[in-house]
Amino acid sequence: MTDNRHSSPPLSPVLFAGLVLRPLPPSLLQPLLGVAMNVMRERQPGLFERLDELAGNAFLIDPVDLPFCFVLKLDPRTPNLTCIRDAADAGTPTAVVRGPFLMLIDLLEGRIDGDAVFFSRDLTIEGDTEAVVTLRNAIDSGEIRVVEDLLSLLGPLSAPAQRLADAVGAVFRRATADLEAVRSAFVSPVRDKSDAQAVRIRKLEAELAEMRDDLRRLKNSARHRKQTELAET
Amino acid sequence: MAEPLELVCPAGAPAALRAAVDAGADVVYVGFRDQTNARNFPGLNFSRSELRDGLAYAHDRGTRVYVAINTLPEAGNPDPWHRAVDDAAALGCDALILADIGLLDYAASHHAGLRRHLSVQASASNVESIRFYQEAFGVQRVVLPRVLTVAEIAELNAQITVETEVFAFGGLCVMAEGRCALSSYATGQSPNVQGVCSPASHVRYERRGDEMVSHLGDYTINVFADGEPAGYPTLCKGRFVAAGRASYIFEEPTSLNVIDSIPDLMAAGVKALKIEGRQRGRAYVSQVVSAFRKAVDAAARGEPAPACDLGSVTEGQRNTTGAYAKDWR
Amino acid sequence: MATHATKLTLGPILFHWPAERKRDFYARIADEAPIDTVYLGEVVCSKRAPFFDSWLPEVAAKLERAGKKVVFSTLALVMSEREIEAVRAMAEDSGFLVEANDISAVRLFAGRPHVIGPFVNVYNEGTLRYLARNGATRVVLSNELPAHSLAALAEAAGNVELEVQAFGRLPLALSARCYHARSRGLHKDSCQYVCADDLGGMPLKTLDEKPFFAVNGIQTLSYTVCNLVQELGALRDMTIGYVRLWPQAVDMVAVADVFRSVLDGKTEAREGEAILSRHVDFAPFSNGYFHGREGAAYAQ
Repeated sequence: MTDNRHSSPPLSPVLFAGLVLRPLPPSLLQPLLGVAMNVMRERQPGLFERLDELAGNAFLIDPVDLPFCFVLKLDPRTPNLTCIRDAADAGTPTAVVRGPFLMLIDLLEGRIDGDAVFFSRDLTIEGDTEAVVTLRNAIDSGEIRVVEDLLSLLGPLSAPAQRLADAVGAVFRRATADLEAVRSAFVSPVRDKSDAQAVRIRKLEAELAEMRDDLRRLKNSARHRKQTELAET
Repeated sequence: MAEPLELVCPAGAPAALRAAVDAGADVVYVGFRDQTNARNFPGLNFSRSELRDGLAYAHDRGTRVYVAINTLPEAGNPDPWHRAVDDAAALGCDALILADIGLLDYAASHHAGLRRHLSVQASASNVESIRFYQEAFGVQRVVLPRVLTVAEIAELNAQITVETEVFAFGGLCVMAEGRCALSSYATGQSPNVQGVCSPASHVRYERRGDEMVSHLGDYTINVFADGEPAGYPTLCKGRFVAAGRASYIFEEPTSLNVIDSIPDLMAAGVKALKIEGRQRGRAYVSQVVSAFRKAVDAAARGEPAPACDLGSVTEGQRNTTGAYAKDWR
Repeated sequence: MATHATKLTLGPILFHWPAERKRDFYARIADEAPIDTVYLGEVVCSKRAPFFDSWLPEVAAKLERAGKKVVFSTLALVMSEREIEAVRAMAEDSGFLVEANDISAVRLFAGRPHVIGPFVNVYNEGTLRYLARNGATRVVLSNELPAHSLAALAEAAGNVELEVQAFGRLPLALSARCYHARSRGLHKDSCQYVCADDLGGMPLKTLDEKPFFAVNGIQTLSYTVCNLVQELGALRDMTIGYVRLWPQAVDMVAVADVFRSVLDGKTEAREGEAILSRHVDFAPFSNGYFHGREGAAYAQ
């Protein structure tokens, strides 16, 4: 049996975006989300057909590296996506889906496998598991291109704009890797949203303290032995 | 150059079917969106019209499509299964994957010209069982249960005249397939009839401090420490206490991966490799099918499998060669 | 007693009991238990078979002398050449009725009367009809089937007798792997027969200590003890002719007495249940499958 576990996931550069966006009221994002949903409904009728069986359900989508969350409400006639500042304002959603923002986008666009990020613990879910699985399967049945779809609204500019989006995406992704080294410095602002991270750090700190104690004890006993030996000679 | 093994790839949705075809699948296997197949998960699988489109996409590109109708028809309610067989035949699929004796009998008598493969759910693990299905229903291929070693598979192939297909990658049943009632014992939903193991409707995840707890029905299946790779909430990959000691008594959360044993399986006389995962996303399908396409072709040329990393898509982020190696037992 | 009354059968012993214990167990069944048919043979693990094989002729003869019918059961998971040979040998030795617990045996027993055991999946009329054409005279139905499926099968059964599992830990799964051995860090090939340590299977609990399954070598059983004593009337109304008791490490003569008495209308089902619960003190009862629920449930 081989162990393929990779190291913990890099904290996405969206973290920095999050820090920048922090003062931005969610209401300013809302029109963009409305447009995105309309485009998706138009381009992916099959997907929304599959979502029919989830009618009436609400999902809290919580990008752990952003200072706000999304609520996806699957109203039978007009499914809608809203942005909220505080997860507590989501009422009682059917289920909660948590993960780094870029990963959630990758999932939405089918670039990564939902089960894989669940196995790696980057994605966590709570609440009605069946609803989440249905949502995931529906999303994966379509071929969603969030960025592409939004840019296509710009008309004739879309090809160069697509290249721009790709370039931005690539830089973003490369930055993700480079930023690994400094991420710990920036963890604190989102620590409250990242319990797991906090616990890991606490554990490390506790272990370190224990090692320090052990070291001190060893040193003390060595010193003591030396003194006894000296006294005996 | 030897003939490459046939690569049989999963698709739980039209997008995954296209991904499998584009990634080099020889065959894509699918199921209808109901309890007639063993991956009856919510929001998954094909409507009749989606299958028609999928067949066109695949056939245009030289890829075949097998339809799995591999649950056991319910007593008093055979119609959904009979209709599934009739519709798959009418739409022009290339083979049916069946498990139930009565349904095999139905397909053999109503659609004699359509290839019949024996599903792994029939758990035919020896030469006499395979001969039974061949003689009785004209089965042309048997998907072998995941209980045999490579040596046993070679021995078997030497004695039979039907093709054999073996699992190469993905989820791993550690129990004899089609003969396992663990999930129904806890949930009332049976893989054999409802086509679902550990149904999502009965799965619940709970955060307990820094731990994640998975439940199935009234039972705790596992507790994952912070950062520990997770698996499916299936009972055979759960952590249980026996004689005071907690362990993965049945199997660790892990995926089967025999990419490095393809030459051995060719030598054992296997005809086709099957990739598990109709419940997985199209990213998984693309990644795994591409890797196996290269490996199968390399093996046919007598070359070693090209290096590839499928670790991230494996359950528990680990893989095993499972029952193919004798020490697994 | 009317001849058409529901018959009681005793399934094969699923556990690896010492040979002497098995011999004494069957001696008492022969002399005292109101059982019509006894199934003999090792069903779970071929490695155990040599321990009791030499006793079988004597035990079978004693049971027959006591008026019981004897059926020899095959292994349930047949993989090796040696295991296949054992099934072939049973097919050639036509002295007794045989029970097929694997499809290999279904092929080898074709054309002669035989029982289809509970380890062969018979879930619907189509399969039942095919197996009847193949020579099956009795079919032991899967423990997963709910009442409405049992009724539908009974309606379609024609001359085929049907048998339902009504008492004991339920066989739930089989594997190439031995979990008894694995729990002690051993492989199946060098298992040291550690399964003999648990006369009723090794209890398996969840991490929060809730009992769940019982491990019996390569087999996984329910932790609960299936008990359909309260459903006997319903089974009789469906015209299910045979009711199977799985041997447990309890007073099986007493258990058989209760079932017989309830079947004969001499004891109320509720009272029968109360007596059984005094004998089965190691685990709770279940009957969920019959009622279309999870197998572990117990609907009173």
